[in-house]
Amino acid sequence: MASHAHDFSPPHDSHDHGRGDHGHDDHGHGHLVLQYQPALPISKGKLCLWLFLSTEIMFFAGLIGTYIVLRFGAPEGTWPIPSYVHLAEWIGAVNTFVLLMSSVTIVLCLEAARSNKPALAKGWFLATFLLGCVFLGVKTYEYGQKFSHGIYPAKPHSLIYEKPDLYYVQAVRQSLAPRQLALAAEQAALQQKGESLPKEKLEQLELYDNLLTNLVRWTELKAAKEGDPLASRLAIQRMAESIYPLREHGPAAEKQAHHYVELLQEEGKVLEKEQSQLQSGRSTIASERTAKSEELATLQPQIMSLQKQREELAAELKKLEGAAKPAAEAPAGEARSCGQEQPSAANPEIERLKEQIAALDTELMPKQEQEKALLGVIGRIDERLAAADAEIKAVQGRAELLPLLEKAHHGLNEEHSWLRLPMVIPSGNMWASTYFLMTGFHALHVIVGLIAFALIIPLTLNARRAHVIENVGLYWHFVDLVWIFLFPLLYLF
Amino acid sequence: MTDHAHSAAHGHEHHQGEHGHGGVGKYIAVFFALCVLTGISFGVGNWHALRVSSPGTMWAIMMAVSCCKALLVILFFMHILWEANWKYVLTVPASLMSIFLVLMLVPDIGRRTLKYSADRWLYAPKPVPAAAPHEPGSPSAHEHDPAADSRDKDSRDKDSRDKAPANGKPAEGKHGGHE
Repeated sequence: MASHAHDFSPPHDSHDHGRGDHGHDDHGHGHLVLQYQPALPISKGKLCLWLFLSTEIMFFAGLIGTYIVLRFGAPEGTWPIPSYVHLAEWIGAVNTFVLLMSSVTIVLCLEAARSNKPALAKGWFLATFLLGCVFLGVKTYEYGQKFSHGIYPAKPHSLIYEKPDLYYVQAVRQSLAPRQLALAAEQAALQQKGESLPKEKLEQLELYDNLLTNLVRWTELKAAKEGDPLASRLAIQRMAESIYPLREHGPAAEKQAHHYVELLQEEGKVLEKEQSQLQSGRSTIASERTAKSEELATLQPQIMSLQKQREELAAELKKLEGAAKPAAEAPAGEARSCGQEQPSAANPEIERLKEQIAALDTELMPKQEQEKALLGVIGRIDERLAAADAEIKAVQGRAELLPLLEKAHHGLNEEHSWLRLPMVIPSGNMWASTYFLMTGFHALHVIVGLIAFALIIPLTLNARRAHVIENVGLYWHFVDLVWIFLFPLLYLF
Repeated sequence: MTDHAHSAAHGHEHHQGEHGHGGVGKYIAVFFALCVLTGISFGVGNWHALRVSSPGTMWAIMMAVSCCKALLVILFFMHILWEANWKYVLTVPASLMSIFLVLMLVPDIGRRTLKYSADRWLYAPKPVPAAAPHEPGSPSAHEHDPAADSRDKDSRDKDSRDKAPANGKPAEGKHGGHE
C-alpha cells in the first residue's frame, strides 16, 4: 500500500529521467499523473479512529457474546421477561429512535460543514448533542425505575432473591424485624412521655406487626408443617407473590392479578371453614372443661365439709385430751396409728373420736386424690384451650390480612414503597448484572461522545473542521451501532 | 480504485469530491429505513404467538434486522460504501473475529443438550421434544473453500498445510496487483 504509486508506474518512467523514485511528473508523455503517498489514503486521525473502532467492535462482541451465553444458559424459562424487572420495551424503542435521529443529525452536520455552511452545521451539531443528552436522560430514568424497585447489580442494595426458599423467608423476616423493633421502642419511649408516634409511623408499625405474624410467621409455620417439600415451597411462593408478583405487561397482568385475588378469596373461604372447625373444636374442649369443673365443683364442697367435720372432731379430741389426760402427749396427727399403744388411757370417748377421725380420713383421702387428678386434667384442658385460642387467633389474623393483600394485589412492595422487602425474581441477579454492565458500558460511551461534542461546540464548523466532525461522527455512529444490537438483545429477547 | 485516484488527484481538498455521494435525501431515506426496521424488531419482539410457538425464529428475525440496521449505518452514515479499499483491512478482521467469538460461545451452551445422557435428562429443567434440525453450517464446510484451494495450488511453495497464511498472501498480492 505504502508504495503503490511507485509500483505501478510504467517501466520506462523510472529510467528516463533519473530523478529518483519519486519523480512522476508528467513530461508531456500524456499518461497518468501519479504521486507518492506515504500511507493509507486517509488522515491519520481517521485511521486511528477506525483502529480504535475495530478494537471496540471486539470489546462489545465479547460483552454481547457473554450475555448470550448467560442468557441462554440460564435454566429453561427462568430468564426474567421485561415486565418482571420493570423494563419498558417502548422506552427502549424510543431511545433507539433518539439515537438513530442523532446519527442522522451528525451526518447532516458533516454534510453542512463540508459544503462550508458553519451555521447550519452548528445547528445540526447542537441537535446531536441534545439528542445524546435525551438518550442519557431516558437511560437515567430507566435506571431510576430499576433502583426504586430494588433492582441493583450487586448485593448491598439489591433485593433480588432467586428462589422462594427458607433463606428468602428468613431474609424477609430480617428485613422486617429490626424495623418493627426500632419503631416499637420509639413508640414505647414516646408513650412514657405521654406522646405517641405520628400517624404515618403508627400505620407502619401496625403493618410491620401484621406482616411479621400473619405473613412471615404464618408462612414459616405452614412451610414447616407441610411434609411435602413442594407444598412448603408453594406456601413460600405465595408469600413471594404477595410481596412482588411476577406479572406480564398490559391486559395479561390484569388477568394474573384477578387470578391472584381469586386465590386469596379462596384462601379466605378455607380459612373461614378452618376457623369454624377450630371454634367447634374449641367449644368441645370448653364443654369438656365445664364438665370437669362441674365435677370439681361437686367434689370440692364434699371435701370441704369432710375437712370441716374432721377439724371439729380434732378440736374436740384435743379438748378432751387436754382436759382428761395431760400426761398423754400423743399429738392429734398420730391418733390413728397410736390408738392401740395407749391401753392405759382407756377413755372410751377419746377412742371413739379417734376412730371417727380415722374413718373420715379414709373417706377424705381418695376424694383429695380425685381432686388433684381433676385439677391436673383441667390444667391440661386449659393448655389445649390456649393452643386452640392461639390457632384461632393466627387464622383470624391471617384472614384479616387477606383483604389487605387483596388491596395490594400488585404487590406489597408496590403498594408501600417504603417496605422494600426482599423479592423473588428467578435469574434476576444475573439479569441485573448483565443489563447494568452492558447498558452501563454503552452509556459510558455516550458520555465520552458527549464530552467530545462539548469540546467541539465552541469551534466554527466550516470545511476546514469537517474532518473533526467526521471523526467524532464515526465514533457516534459506532455508539448507535452498539445500541442497535443491545436494544433487541436486552429488551425484546 | 477510481476513488483512490480521485482523492489522490485532489490531495487534501477531496471534500468537494465526496460531497456527491451523500446527499440529504439519501440520509433521510436511510433514517426512515432504520426506523421501519426498528419497528419491525419491536413488533416481532412483542408478537406473543411467535414467542410461544418458536422463539428461535423470533430471535433470528430480530438479529437479522439488527444486522441490516448495522449495515445501513456502517455503509451510509459511516461512509464505508464510498471509502477506498483500506476499509476491508480495518473492518473485516474485527468483524470476523467478533462473529467468531460469539459463534464459538453459543455451542457450549446452546447445543449442549445434544450430548446429554439419559440420566442427565432426568434432572434437566425441561426436555425438548425433538432435536431441531440445526443449520448444517459445520466448520468443515467452511474450511473446504474451492477458491482457497486453487490459490493454494498457485503458491504451494512452503507451507501448504497451514491455510491461513497461504490464504492471505495471494490475496494481498492480487490486491496490490490491481492497484
